[in-house]
Amino acid sequence: MTVRRSLVVALVVSLLALPGLPPVAPPPARAQGVDVFLNVTGGGSRKLNIAIPEFTVVAGNDVAGAGKQLASVAGADLTFSGLFSVVAGTGSIPANNPELLRQSWAEFAAAGAHAGVHGLLALRGERAEIEMRLYDITTPAHRLIATRKFEMPAAQMRRLAHKVADEVVLQFTGEPGIADTKIAYVVGPAGAAKEIVMADYDGAGAAPVTRNGSINLMPVWSPDARSLAFTSFRQGYPDLYRAFPFERRPEQTLAAFIGINSSPSFSPDGKSLAMTLSKDGNPEIYVLSLASGTMRRLTRHAGIDTEPTWSPNGREIAFVSDRGGVPHIFVMDAEGANVRQITSGGFHTQPRWSPRGDMIAYTQRAGTHDIWVVDVDGSNPRRLTSGGDNQGPTWAPNGRHLAFQSSRSGRWQIYAMLADGNALTALTRGSAENTSPSWSPRLP
Amino acid sequence: MLSRCSHVLVASLLVLGVVLTGCAKRPATTQAAAPAPTGAAATTPGSSAQAQPPGGGATPPSGGSSSGGTQSGGASTARPAPSEFVSIAELKDIHFDFDKYDIRPGDAKMLDTNAGWLKSNPNHLVLIEGHCDERGTNEYNLALGERRAKSTMNYLVSQGVQASRITIISYGEERPLCTEHNEECWAKNRRAHFLVKPR
Repeated sequence: MTVRRSLVVALVVSLLALPGLPPVAPPPARAQGVDVFLNVTGGGSRKLNIAIPEFTVVAGNDVAGAGKQLASVAGADLTFSGLFSVVAGTGSIPANNPELLRQSWAEFAAAGAHAGVHGLLALRGERAEIEMRLYDITTPAHRLIATRKFEMPAAQMRRLAHKVADEVVLQFTGEPGIADTKIAYVVGPAGAAKEIVMADYDGAGAAPVTRNGSINLMPVWSPDARSLAFTSFRQGYPDLYRAFPFERRPEQTLAAFIGINSSPSFSPDGKSLAMTLSKDGNPEIYVLSLASGTMRRLTRHAGIDTEPTWSPNGREIAFVSDRGGVPHIFVMDAEGANVRQITSGGFHTQPRWSPRGDMIAYTQRAGTHDIWVVDVDGSNPRRLTSGGDNQGPTWAPNGRHLAFQSSRSGRWQIYAMLADGNALTALTRGSAENTSPSWSPRLP
Repeated sequence: MLSRCSHVLVASLLVLGVVLTGCAKRPATTQAAAPAPTGAAATTPGSSAQAQPPGGGATPPSGGSSSGGTQSGGASTARPAPSEFVSIAELKDIHFDFDKYDIRPGDAKMLDTNAGWLKSNPNHLVLIEGHCDERGTNEYNLALGERRAKSTMNYLVSQGVQASRITIISYGEERPLCTEHNEECWAKNRRAHFLVKPR
């Protein structure tokens, strides 16, 4: 076990601060050893400064540098949350040495940290285990706030860091963070095969969900985060399927009627799937009961009705209809009655109801497309994106972040932002076209 | 000393604003290897959902060829495989205005010609593909392409082509003919395309 004592103090403003967003005043520079990452979001709210030194390896041989990587990933998660500035140190704090622990926290506190995470990593063959200890270091007592253990297969090591970050967010906000989530999206240019992949919410570890060489579209996670519904042309026509990406389990056919079978949306209880079918003449919204297989039709209109999205209480469904001439966002109750129009003017598609229930995100076309949000009663529409073309909003499970696709870099890539449009972060890079993100619920 | 609320001092110093919604009702110190599943328990692996054929509606689901997935919802006789159809020079594409699916007068004349060929060749089935340009979003364009194919089909039927010979498919914006980002290209992509196969 490496013992590093030199957690000495220096403040370096990170270059991670986003272009276009003014950094807060950098703290005064001191000696070497500790970096302060100030990732600034709008609104001017103060953040909690948290120290996350390299995790201490207490069992096994850390040949891959997991202790360092996990601290880095957890720190990035907390920075992404918009609630924390990470005071990252070099070296780890030795285990079972109260005096060195006290010295380290004192140094971090002197560097401006308010809290510290001590991670103890045990590598046991195929398994990896972390004990995290969260300290309040604003007083000399360095009070222990919480201790928690997490275990994962070694192959999913990054999830341990995400779990630690989510626990820290929970301890300070009362709601767990969203780092241990996945984002599914579509890879491939128009006109060629499009496959669905999934990655950690931060874009790391992309892995295939479909591999059928066909066009696969519109992935959406089930509320238990175990399956994805999507449209695929793999049988020639646009049909609806369900994949189970964490299990050795074949895809399930959900709807394969004549016409389009598209735009799946799981009810919040996971028991029903709203979708668009044109089997009865033109695109209408239906709800499939997953247990019984019964199908209920909700809309009856000569125009296009598509893209259902459930309210988080399951009582209402927002959708797109062109019944007014151009597509707008409408809301109806879950039985199809009480239809009212939420947006007007413009050209509005891709409604996504916020997990908090208070807003609906959507895409407005005005030359190019941008992501907007509107209150559920139709008031207060506001634009969140600008620059390039921006489509396909999807909410993080806490309703504080949105991911979407943007062409601002010249290719379609997936980005995330806070729900007020600030703190833009690229999640995917590279030469592929990445579109149609779906942010998973928190993983089990 | 491990009280869940022991950090309130820290937090209150820091003005985290709306995020400070109070203390969670859970102990600070837990030893769980992993939290319980977050989602609804209803959709568990092996639940009845998987064993059920989908779509209990009046129209039998089709597309149940033997490749890949689990159950198939029914016979696929209602939908011939699109890959069996071929384009022919005699049947010309028609085009649409942005976000429209009505048949324009000039395109109606082309459809009359296409209808004539189909009536003269009654042993051919026809597949009508509906396509969109890249503007608008994928999901909506899949529906729009469906409406374009359907409008085209309805026109051919009104001109005496048997509906039973016609299959439609929407590709939305997924199969552009032209990939430039300009009106000339978009106009080419907003189309209904015809393919045939012998009965």
